[in-house]
Amino acid sequence: MHKLLIKNELLGCIQCGRCSAGCPVSLRTALSPRKLIYKNLRESRKLPKSQDIWSCTTCRTCQQRCPKGVSVMDYIIGLRSYQVERGKIEPTMRDALESILKHGNPWGRPREKRTQWIDDETDVRILSEGEETDVLLYVGCTPAYDPEIQKSARALAKILNDADVDFAIIGNDESCCGNEVKRMGELGLFEMLVEENTALFKKYKFNTMITISPHCYNTFKNEYALDFEVLHYTQFLKKLLDEGKLQISASIDKKVVFHDPCFLGKQNDEYDAPRELLKYLLTDEDNLLEFGRNRERSLCCEGGGGRMWLEVESESPRNAEIRIDDAKSIGAEIVATSCPFCQLTLNDAVKTTKSEDKIRVVDICSLIAENKFEETEMEE
Amino acid sequence: MNSVVCIKRVPETAEATLKIAPDGKKLEEENLVFSLNDADNYALEQALLLQEEFDGDVTVISVGPPETDEIIRMALAKGATNAIRIHHDDISKLDASAVASLLAEQIKDLDYDVVFTGAFASDDAFSLVGTMLARKLEIPHITMAIEMKQDDEDEAEISRELEGGLIAKYRIKFPAVITVQTGMNEPRYASILGIKRASQKEVDVVDDPTIPENKVQLEKISYPPEGKKAEILSGTPEETSSRLAEILKQKGII
Amino acid sequence: MNKDIFVVIEHRQERIADVSYELLTKGYQIAEKLGGEVIAVLLADDGDQMAQSLKSYADKVLYIKNEIFKNLHSEYYCDALSSIIGERKPALILFGHTVDSFEVAPALAEQLGIPIISNCVDFDIDGDFVRATVPLYGGKINGEYSFNAENGGIISVIPGAFKVENPQKSGEIEKIEFTFEKEYDDKEFIEFIEAAAGEIDITQAEKIVAIGRGVKDEENIDMIKDFADSIGAVLACSRPIVDAGWLPKERQVGSSGKTVKPKLYIALGISGAFQHISGIKSDTIIAVNKDPNAPIFKVAHYGIVDDMFKVIPALKAKIEEMK
Ligand SMILES: Cc1cc2nc3c(=O)[nH]c(=O)nc-3n(C[C@H](O)[C@H](O)[C@H](O)COP(=O)(O)OP(=O)(O)OC[C@H]3O[C@@H](n4cnc5c(N)ncnc54)[C@H](O)[C@@H]3O)c2cc1C
Ligand code: SF4
Ligand code: SF4
Repeated sequence: MHKLLIKNELLGCIQCGRCSAGCPVSLRTALSPRKLIYKNLRESRKLPKSQDIWSCTTCRTCQQRCPKGVSVMDYIIGLRSYQVERGKIEPTMRDALESILKHGNPWGRPREKRTQWIDDETDVRILSEGEETDVLLYVGCTPAYDPEIQKSARALAKILNDADVDFAIIGNDESCCGNEVKRMGELGLFEMLVEENTALFKKYKFNTMITISPHCYNTFKNEYALDFEVLHYTQFLKKLLDEGKLQISASIDKKVVFHDPCFLGKQNDEYDAPRELLKYLLTDEDNLLEFGRNRERSLCCEGGGGRMWLEVESESPRNAEIRIDDAKSIGAEIVATSCPFCQLTLNDAVKTTKSEDKIRVVDICSLIAENKFEETEMEE
Repeated sequence: MNSVVCIKRVPETAEATLKIAPDGKKLEEENLVFSLNDADNYALEQALLLQEEFDGDVTVISVGPPETDEIIRMALAKGATNAIRIHHDDISKLDASAVASLLAEQIKDLDYDVVFTGAFASDDAFSLVGTMLARKLEIPHITMAIEMKQDDEDEAEISRELEGGLIAKYRIKFPAVITVQTGMNEPRYASILGIKRASQKEVDVVDDPTIPENKVQLEKISYPPEGKKAEILSGTPEETSSRLAEILKQKGII
Repeated sequence: MNKDIFVVIEHRQERIADVSYELLTKGYQIAEKLGGEVIAVLLADDGDQMAQSLKSYADKVLYIKNEIFKNLHSEYYCDALSSIIGERKPALILFGHTVDSFEVAPALAEQLGIPIISNCVDFDIDGDFVRATVPLYGGKINGEYSFNAENGGIISVIPGAFKVENPQKSGEIEKIEFTFEKEYDDKEFIEFIEAAAGEIDITQAEKIVAIGRGVKDEENIDMIKDFADSIGAVLACSRPIVDAGWLPKERQVGSSGKTVKPKLYIALGISGAFQHISGIKSDTIIAVNKDPNAPIFKVAHYGIVDDMFKVIPALKAKIEEMK
């Protein structure tokens, strides 16, 4: 029996199908975790060569729902790792992985441009080796390079400055956290990033690390052995708020719904901090709506698990499109989220569903920054 | 069926800021990322595909400094069986004919059916080494191959891609040199574990090759003249595009 | 000292490539300087007509005739050329830096034991000293290379580097029936295959919107196509887009694609490698690129340094407003 089956408790599976029933892509794609396990156990004990495993967004719903403690998602990632070893993976994923090795980011952009998100109006200190700061802002690849998401990074920097937080960034030496790398099954590269990043962080003195992306947060918190506190920025801002260091005035009188990022919610049980922040922003708390599928049942936007670099063919609408339709049907005007990938997939869905005039997708830190610095340039 | 693949380590320069080194003959390498030349990657993949079909060895060979071992290891991780590095401190000092001689000197004693090279390197795009190598090995060559069909181990049908999308099809008998155009196949990924494992494999280093004399000298490199620059429209996307729309209208284009 | 300049004429299916005329023009200038002649070397089977059309560009047309020259075969080409070159000792032999010359020029250089500089955009000769400019790293750097042309030398020049001027000469045609001593049966031409005929011919388009690797993703092409449609333009691209299989080969602009001559050429996310821009003959070139140093801005008439995905929707809206 293959060690992958034993390690992930596949033998305990009773074929109840709870995993597949909860899987956000099982309706759109050929992936069915239950069937995959069935085939692997009944038909052949060799690892399946199925390409369906690449549809998985690593949202972890299956693993969470399984009554028998089968590590369904870990098993799927394990299967991926064997395909990665054979080298025959989608070219887009190959390019993203190669780029991480070469440039420290999956977007094929040069390292020397990692800090270009910092514009003239953004005041950010870049640490030199040995320097000290209270808070290290780990920017992450997508906020560093994607012009849409750079806005979130700038917004957060402004908020931190305004709250007099002693914070700084690593600069061009910052590298990919590896969260997606691990989930794409490139375990060797992940290990390498863990080693290199851990050594990198040791070069600076700080107490807390905050991340913009829940994906970075997840891996630093759970998969590295780091000796400092790691917080997602929503958690950190909530703390500032509680400590009275951050003031937010209620100014939004629109209906807002929060989309739970899988890596903040399902995978790390943080459902409240973002909602609390939103409540402070709203003139009327009742304007904070909820999706039918919220919190641990939240519908995955399909941005995780390497799916940012892999298009899955399907006749059915993307989950992000379903999400935007759901938002419209409950009367939301703003879909707030707190994850770069969610922002990108949902924003794209706003365009493909031609909902630009009805729905706005925005990161919570941008909402806060707009609210605080209205008169300055924060744009619609 | 055995193949040899000639590979080159080149800097990735598409988005990088390039600086000329004080000697005026090469780039400052400090901030550059180096990798396997794109077309060579396709050449390597083609050799690996042949290996999957007909068995045999895939030998990668490169001229360069020890840093070249990075791309060699990557090739080994992908499945190359043997590797040769012909040591040279600074390949920018070698002309194409010298590189071809160095390669030929090693390849001639190998047991091979086909030698693959990339059709061009992304740095100088000379497209010379492959053809010159064929001449030095006294075997036929086909350049700019975009497709390769092969039923047996003695010959292949090769499509060359000409300007304007026309394809010219040739039959070639082995041994032969084939220079591969990007797009011929889909290169595989070399995983990090694979690369780590490959670092245990041996790279045959030719330490002190006889360096042939150059026929062509590199005098200097320089930044291209500024030329007439485009009128750069600046502002937000809204501003620039409205300015542009006006210009197009004035010109009667829209 | 050798004085004549040989231009090896490239032709296919009885049509002479533009680059050959460009080289004859430049060759003429160089030959004048040396006090020699520019000689068109035409290897063909049925070449009388082609030889006629070369007459006004050259002091002499050397028409070397053999059935084998119907299609390119590098070994026969090299044998014929080396025998002629051995006899007449030109100062320089010029080729276009084209797919066919990749096959022949380097082999000829080896056969004759003479130097070659390929991929040039310019060159000059001073005594025996030849100097040529080669765009390196996608055109971001120029390399200057040189050789001693005592025993001749080869230069291959990127198509589009020189303008064609017809000096209205009336060169004589010298026809040589060539016979081969050696046979080469280890390589054989089989056939030409036309790329699947696309519905649209970009060479005839009045407006072109061209995309490069900056589109990042196949999915994004739809959006650009929408924009192109809205201004009545045809979609074209740089080569990596064809390599990726996102657009068919007939849409490729550049030295290994098509030469286009639209009134308006909008280059989106194209860096402007020489191989690409040499295929653009347009009075209004507009470039949108994130990199202010992209070489495309050197040929463009108007440029916007920004993300194309921000500019295009805005531009589309603006143009629609104006309609
Ligand atoms: C023998 C030979 C023949 C060739 N023939 C041809 C040919 O016929 N045609 C051809 O095109 N090429 C040809 N090439 C290839 C050529 O050398 C270049 O590699 C190619 O043209 C580069 O294509 P590109 O500009 O699309 O890509 P790149 O050089 O990678 O440029 C991409 C550009 O997009 C910009 N960018 C990225 N993202 C964005 C964004 N969001 N918004 C705006 N800008 C963005 C980047 O700054 C960059 O400048 C040939 C090469 C050889 C050696
Ligand atoms: S992790 Fe999520 S997407 Fe992947 S199989 Fe499980 S439920 Fe489906
Ligand atoms: S939920 Fe668990 S027990 Fe049920 S089918 Fe899935 S893996 Fe098996």
